[in-house]
Amino acid sequence: MMTTTHNSHIDVEQLQFQYPGAEEAVLSGADLTIEPGEFVAIIGGNGSGKTTLCKSFNGIIPHFYEGDMRGQVTVAGHDVSESSVAELSQHVGYVFQEFDNQLVSPTVFEEVAFAPMNYGHEDYRERVHRTLDLLDLSGLEDRFVWELSGGQKHLVALAAALSLDPDILVVDEPAAQLDPVNARETYDRLAMLNETHGKTVVTIEHQTEFIAEYCDSVVLVEDGIVSWKLPVETALNQLEDLRGQDVHPPQVTRIAERVLDDACPLPVTLADGLDLFTDYGSTTGTRTDGPSEGNRTGKPVISFDNVSHSYETLRSGTKEVLDTLSLDVYPDERVVLAGSNGAGKSTLMQLVTGLETPDEGTVTVGGTDTEDVLPEQLAEEVVYVKQNPEEMFIDDSVRADVAHYLDDRDYPNVEQRVDEVIEFLDLETLQSRDGRLLSVGQQRRASLAIGLATNPSIILLDEPTGSLDLASREEVGRTINRAGERVETVVIATHDLELAASWATRIVVLHDGNIIADGPPSDVFADLAALKQANLRPPQVVRLGTELGLSPAPLTVEAFTDRLSTASPSTEPSKPAVEEQQ
Amino acid sequence: MTTLDALRDATSVETIKADLLRTAYENEGSFLHRLDPRVLLLWYAVFLFVPWLFYDTTILLGLLAFVSVLAVLSRVSLFLVGLMAFTVATTLGSYAVVTVFTGDPVAAIRALIPYTLKLTIISVSSLAVFSSMGPKTLSQGLRSLGIPRQFTFLITYGYRMLPVLFQEYHDLVNSFRLRSTAPDSPGRFRWRHYAYLLKLSVRAFYPMIFNVAKRSRVTVEAMEARGFSHSLANEASTELRLADMQIRPMDVGFFAGSLFVVAALALFL
Repeated sequence: MMTTTHNSHIDVEQLQFQYPGAEEAVLSGADLTIEPGEFVAIIGGNGSGKTTLCKSFNGIIPHFYEGDMRGQVTVAGHDVSESSVAELSQHVGYVFQEFDNQLVSPTVFEEVAFAPMNYGHEDYRERVHRTLDLLDLSGLEDRFVWELSGGQKHLVALAAALSLDPDILVVDEPAAQLDPVNARETYDRLAMLNETHGKTVVTIEHQTEFIAEYCDSVVLVEDGIVSWKLPVETALNQLEDLRGQDVHPPQVTRIAERVLDDACPLPVTLADGLDLFTDYGSTTGTRTDGPSEGNRTGKPVISFDNVSHSYETLRSGTKEVLDTLSLDVYPDERVVLAGSNGAGKSTLMQLVTGLETPDEGTVTVGGTDTEDVLPEQLAEEVVYVKQNPEEMFIDDSVRADVAHYLDDRDYPNVEQRVDEVIEFLDLETLQSRDGRLLSVGQQRRASLAIGLATNPSIILLDEPTGSLDLASREEVGRTINRAGERVETVVIATHDLELAASWATRIVVLHDGNIIADGPPSDVFADLAALKQANLRPPQVVRLGTELGLSPAPLTVEAFTDRLSTASPSTEPSKPAVEEQQ
Repeated sequence: MTTLDALRDATSVETIKADLLRTAYENEGSFLHRLDPRVLLLWYAVFLFVPWLFYDTTILLGLLAFVSVLAVLSRVSLFLVGLMAFTVATTLGSYAVVTVFTGDPVAAIRALIPYTLKLTIISVSSLAVFSSMGPKTLSQGLRSLGIPRQFTFLITYGYRMLPVLFQEYHDLVNSFRLRSTAPDSPGRFRWRHYAYLLKLSVRAFYPMIFNVAKRSRVTVEAMEARGFSHSLANEASTELRLADMQIRPMDVGFFAGSLFVVAALALFL
């Protein structure tokens, strides 16, 4: 273990907690010890109590939520129920999942200075600069927080939590809200804080690939108790426990599980997997996986012709989002727009809806120039399901939201059509509830229902799997598959390349307002230079296949397994095709 | 058509948003920004009072010219100036319409001009003062005058949320548009179209309020976890917050100069 500079333990003994008004206790006797300097991942399904557990570390539970608490939590020698949140916050920094809402000041400097000034530290300027330097954020001091990218916002939230120099850092689901590259960057910083500064780091995390790579140990929270705390390799081998909590083991572990009969322990990182599978390598093979290539028939349904688009910011000048971009999308294609945050994916979609019109060039949808018609008219063909489902809820119940479009246009049999869509997306039990009060996964489903009710021929989905746990992600994936049968063309903007690998017929990679790669998934995933340029990482299974020299690399766990079982172990180890890219 | 296009561009949501944000934040270059917030607030209090001392239209016009110069130096948002001009003109216009039935409209307007001028002077000086103070200086100034931190923080936070609210509101209006039917024929001057947009704009307020309410819970937790309540009773924290304020000769000069201008106007006009 690394050098530890503090002696702040976390001790949870028989913790029980019940939210006021709730029928059941969310925690029912949890026990947990976290040593100084550990890097711990806390996993568990939705509603298992993991966030409540972590909120007891800095006293938000029980001081902020006046529920019924029993048992004892001791953090850095303080009994949590006896100490104030302000006192505990000097030992525990907390980054919330909805990090956007925790930034309370206009500029980065003021945000990071918020805590030191509240505590009356005269050296607050030095603290701010030290913290920003530590996270490589120097230079952003005077920027406005709302003009930052998602990744930068998250790092600023982290800097704000670090400004009091706490020994313990709790980060709630960093990977859920960020694109993979930004999530990795956050984890790199956390690892640095842990290794060189000895901070205890606790993350709540669903994505086991990150856990395997960065964490020391894993805590499983199940139905309000801590089932176990194990070293990471052992923990990720408890496949049944993980699946019971909707946590998916890393792809490499899943492959090993299918291929190897009794070889325990299974590998959990790419490097382990590489060692293990090198002997299985085969350099040729036919593609047996993934959907077949889309056949480009007829005229394009969406057509971008030399489109440029920009917007103005207050302190950063004019930002060019799209730069003379041309793209044709044909009927029956399943297109994934990939690219890091800010690459222009959402702008591209807004242009198709007609809500935005290009500064230069033309956008044609179904033969109509979008500048000639109102967005209301385009909405008969195109539906845009937003990244943030809350922006789609304009009525006070899911059912009213689904019916809104049909009612407004005086469609016949509105009730019957709404019933169909609600049944199609399993929303019967939720239809009378307010969309804003549902869980993120349910919200996503409801927003898809709102979109499908308009019976569109073109459907645009913006980050449909963002901020979902893996179970909900798979569910949305299935829904998109089924929805695809009803509509002609589906375009998804996402950085979830696992979804892209298993679903798309065509991947378009955007970078700096232009297209840098365009083709079927296997071709695009083979174009490592373009992916690197766009800050994208192919799914672990593709990276594993590429390293093993499989060409074309399989895109899914199933396809990989098939390839391994058909190819007999070769006598000479194949050469890895590329160096591991970190 | 180009004039209409230009007008539409100038009144587009994006332009107004950028203009208002610039008013709220980009005030570093303005003259009044360099003054101490306490002096500015005191100056403002005086100028709320001064117009009521005079009845002479010429003096009032002189005062208006003076505060207008300050407003120009503070780079007041054109949108806000336009909005103010519009209100003043329509108010006077409405008096005229009403007084057509009761007597002589010209005499009525003439009688009301001094009163309207006084209100305009106050409005213009408000614009000048508050456009040139950023959220930070404004809350510093109020805090030093003894206003509780809960309130002064609200100002900074309100400013921080402003662009987020704009964005959210704009998005919600768009959500409404994509699921509604625009009127078949826009009518003369597209009035039906604008009436329809107006209706959607009003309806979009309700979901926005719900979304904001839901969000504020995380904000409050995050503030607590960074010692907000702690700062309320903490003397050292208050001192830090007010440390970089100081009254310099320039502040005194500005204040005295303003009083001198008022006195000169009163004596010589």
